[in-house]
Amino acid sequence: MSENILIEGPVSQAEILNGLEGFNQHPDAGGVSIFIGKVRNDAVSGKYVKAIEYSAYKALVIKEAEKIFSSVREEFPEVKLIRLFHSVGIVNAGEISMAAMVAAVHRDQAMQACKKIVELVKVKLPIWKKEIYTDFTYKWKQDNLA
Amino acid sequence: MEIKVFFFGILADIAKTGFKHYRNITSFHDLEHRIEDDYPEFVHYNYRIAVNNEITDEKPTLKDGDQVALMPPFSGG
Repeated sequence: MSENILIEGPVSQAEILNGLEGFNQHPDAGGVSIFIGKVRNDAVSGKYVKAIEYSAYKALVIKEAEKIFSSVREEFPEVKLIRLFHSVGIVNAGEISMAAMVAAVHRDQAMQACKKIVELVKVKLPIWKKEIYTDFTYKWKQDNLA
Repeated sequence: MEIKVFFFGILADIAKTGFKHYRNITSFHDLEHRIEDDYPEFVHYNYRIAVNNEITDEKPTLKDGDQVALMPPFSGG
């Protein structure tokens, strides 16, 4: 289900609830773990993060997400279902930018697999974020100098 | 050969565009030089390469019509 990962703007509660609907089709899964990531209004040099603008290499996000899901299923064989949503575009501070949901036979694997997915999303998915501050200046995150 | 180059993240900001066509390219090395000529600031940034939606850590062998993406470190989540 990696086709529907990218959501324009914030991830809504309705999208998360819709994502959870399919979980009922797995009566063998006794645990569902959910991670919800929000944009935080961090203070940076006397100003605050007002929003984050996410951009993505969409075609590659889908391919890389499939690889993440495959590796997680291999590491945690009890996993029955995975859902992932990530924003592109503007997400204001306090709004949801990411949701990962994992159903597994038992809670331990559901929680571990969900944590693993979140960690892998940060390093494997070609997504970039630009912090926009209250004074309307901005800064790319992880704009590492060579 | 003609190569379409996509820029992402801060590189798109610097280039002021998301993509650019490069014509009469002879090799990946040649393409790198052409890009650096256009955007000298790129030399200050790390980035990975994808060719036709496949990430590669090697210097790729290009063919006419390939699509090359320049991707700074990812920062999703």
